Amino acid sequence: MTTANKKELTIGVAMLGASIAYLVMAYRVPGHDGIDAATVPTLLAILLCLLGALQTLSAIGNRARPAAESDADAPEQTSASVVEPLTVLKTLGLILIYVVLLGPVGFPIMTALYLYLQFIVLTPVNQKVRHLLYAAIAVVTPAVIYLLFREAFDLLLPAGLLNF
Amino acid sequence: MLELLQQGFGAVFSLNIMLLMLGGVAVGIVFGAVPGLSATMAVALCLPLTFTMGPQAGLSLLVALFVGATSGGLISAILLKIPGTPSSIATVFDGGPLMEQGLGVKALGVGIVFSFLGTIFSIIALMFIAPQLAKVALSFGPHEYFAIAVFSLTLIATLSAGSMVKGLFAGTLGIAVSTVGIAPVEAVRRFTFGVSELNGGFSMLTVMIGMFAVAEVIKLAETGRHAVRNKAGSVSMKQIKGFGFSLKEFRQELPNATRSGLIGLAVGILPGIGAGTSNLLSYIVAKKRAKQPETYGKGNIGGVVASETANNAGIGGAMMPLMTLGIPGDTTTAILLGGFLIHGIQPGPLLFVSQGPLVYTIFAALLVASVMMLFMEFYGLRLFIKLLDVPKHILLPIILVLCVVGAFGLSSRLFDVWSILLFGVLGYAFVKAGMPVAPFIIGFILGPMAETNLRRGLMLSDGNFASFFTNPIAATFLGLALAFVLWQLYSAVRPRGGVLGQALRT
Repeated sequence: MTTANKKELTIGVAMLGASIAYLVMAYRVPGHDGIDAATVPTLLAILLCLLGALQTLSAIGNRARPAAESDADAPEQTSASVVEPLTVLKTLGLILIYVVLLGPVGFPIMTALYLYLQFIVLTPVNQKVRHLLYAAIAVVTPAVIYLLFREAFDLLLPAGLLNF
Repeated sequence: MLELLQQGFGAVFSLNIMLLMLGGVAVGIVFGAVPGLSATMAVALCLPLTFTMGPQAGLSLLVALFVGATSGGLISAILLKIPGTPSSIATVFDGGPLMEQGLGVKALGVGIVFSFLGTIFSIIALMFIAPQLAKVALSFGPHEYFAIAVFSLTLIATLSAGSMVKGLFAGTLGIAVSTVGIAPVEAVRRFTFGVSELNGGFSMLTVMIGMFAVAEVIKLAETGRHAVRNKAGSVSMKQIKGFGFSLKEFRQELPNATRSGLIGLAVGILPGIGAGTSNLLSYIVAKKRAKQPETYGKGNIGGVVASETANNAGIGGAMMPLMTLGIPGDTTTAILLGGFLIHGIQPGPLLFVSQGPLVYTIFAALLVASVMMLFMEFYGLRLFIKLLDVPKHILLPIILVLCVVGAFGLSSRLFDVWSILLFGVLGYAFVKAGMPVAPFIIGFILGPMAETNLRRGLMLSDGNFASFFTNPIAATFLGLALAFVLWQLYSAVRPRGGVLGQALRT
C-alpha cells in the first residue's frame, strides 16, 4: 500500500468517524415524527456517512491498482518543502495558552508574551533569533492595538491584570 | 437611477470615507500581493474596525479592501512568479516570462490597467443588471430560495479543486455545523450540549476567520521555517511614460479584454466559482483565439490581459447574487455578507427597495475604489514591493492577534475566540486532507437558508414535497443541480474531458 493511499484511507476513516458522531447526535435531537427539527440533521448525517464510506471504499479499492490515480492527488503536495510537526504542535500550544489566559491575565500582557514566543518558534532555520527586535515588536503591537481599539473603536479588550 | 448614483457619490466623496477607502485599497493590495494572505483575510481582519462606523463608511472600506486585494495578486504573480491569490494563477504564465525579459514594468502596467477596466466593466454591468434581478427576486418564495440554495451548494461542492467526494463532504459538513443552535421554525436546541453560548450557533465570521486566517498561521508553522524565500525582482520606474505600454498595444488587446471581461463576469455570477476559475478559463480562450498562440506562455501581454481582466470582472459578477439574493458566490463575498450583517443590513431583493441610497453608495464606492487602485497600485508599486519582503514569521503571529481581536469584538465574549481556534484547527485538517474549504463555508452560510425555506415551503404545501417540482423556477434550479451532478459524474468516469472541464477542476 502506497503512502498516498494510506493517507486517503485515513481521511476516509476520519470522514466516516465524524459522520457517525454527527448521526448519533442527530438521533438524539428531540422529535423524529414527520418533518421536524431533526429531519434535516438526519438527512445530512446519512449523506455524510455515504460520502465517508465512498471515500474509504475508493481508498481500499485503489490499493489494487496503486499508480492509477497518482497524478490526480498530486497537485497539493509540495514534496520539496520540509514538514515540521513539532513546530505545528508548539504553535498550537502557544495559541491555546494564549486563549486560555486571555481572560484572566488580559490582552496586553498575554499578547506581548504570545507574540514574542511565537516569533521565536517560527523563525526560519537559516536566520538568527533577534531577541531585542522581537521583544520590541511584541510590546509595541499589543499596546497600539489595545489603545487604538479602546480609544478609537470603542472595543474594550480584556484588560486583566493591567487594570487601568 | 442617476439621482441615486449621484447621492451615492455624494456620500463617498466625504473626506472621512475617502481616507478610509485609500487605506482600504492600500491594505487590500498588500493582502492580495503577499502570497498566503487573501482578500477574505483582509476583509475579516478589518471588520472590527468598522463596528463603530456607520454602514456607509464601513461598507465603503470593505469594498475598497475587496477591490484592492483582487487586483493586488498580480504584483507577486509578476515579480515573484507566485500567484498572490488563486485568481492570478494565469497571470504568472506570461507575467513571469515578461519579467525575465526585463519587461516587468510593462507587464505590471498592462495588468493594472486591465484590472481596472475589468473592474469598471463589471461594476457597470452590476449596476444595470442587479436592480432588474432584484425585481424578479422580489417574487421569490421559500420554494425558489430553497432550490437556489441547493443549486449554489451543488455547484460549489462539485467544482472545487480535488475530488468530488471531498467537495460534497465539505459542503455537507458545513451545513451540518450550521445546524448547531436553536432550530428554525420550532426552536428546538440542537447540538448545544447545554452550552448557552451555542444557542445562537457559531458566528459566521468566527468560522471564516478560523478557517482562513488561523489555519494559515498553523500552515506556516509546518513549512515556514524551511521555506525558500524568493526575492522580489526589482523594476525601474525611470523613463516610464503613462503605464509603460503603448496605445497600439492597448488597442490590439481590446477584443481579448472584452472577451475576458465577459467570461469573468459570467463566471463570477455563478455561485461557487469565481475569479480562481475565470482567469484560467479566459487565458485558455485567449490563447486559442490568438493569432500566434505559440507566443503565449513565453511573455505575451495578451496572457496578462486575459487573466487580469477576467479576475477583476468577477468582482461585479460575484456581487450580483450577494446583493440581490443574499447568496455569496465565493468566500470573499461570503465574508462581505458577514460585513453587511454586522451593520444590520440583510442583502436580498428588499435591499434595493428599502436601502436604495445605500446600494448606490456601494456602487459608487466600488467605482471610486477601482480608480484609486489604478493609480495607487502603479505609482505606489515600489512601496508594495518592499512590503512583500516583510518576514512571514513576524507578520502571521500579528495577524493571529488581529484575528483574536476581531473575534472578541463581535460580541465581547471569549467564546468566539475559542471558536476561531476550533475552526482554525479544522481548517488546517482540511488542508492536510486535501479537502476544499470554500464548499464548507458556503454550506455553513446557505445551510440555514436552505433548511428554513425547505421547512417553510413544506408548511405552505402541507408537507407535500411535490410543490418544489411544480414551481417552475424551483424545479428549474433543482433540475440544473441534478443535471450538474450527473454531468460531473460522467466526466469523472471519463477522464481527460474537455478543456472547460479541466480548467474548472484546476
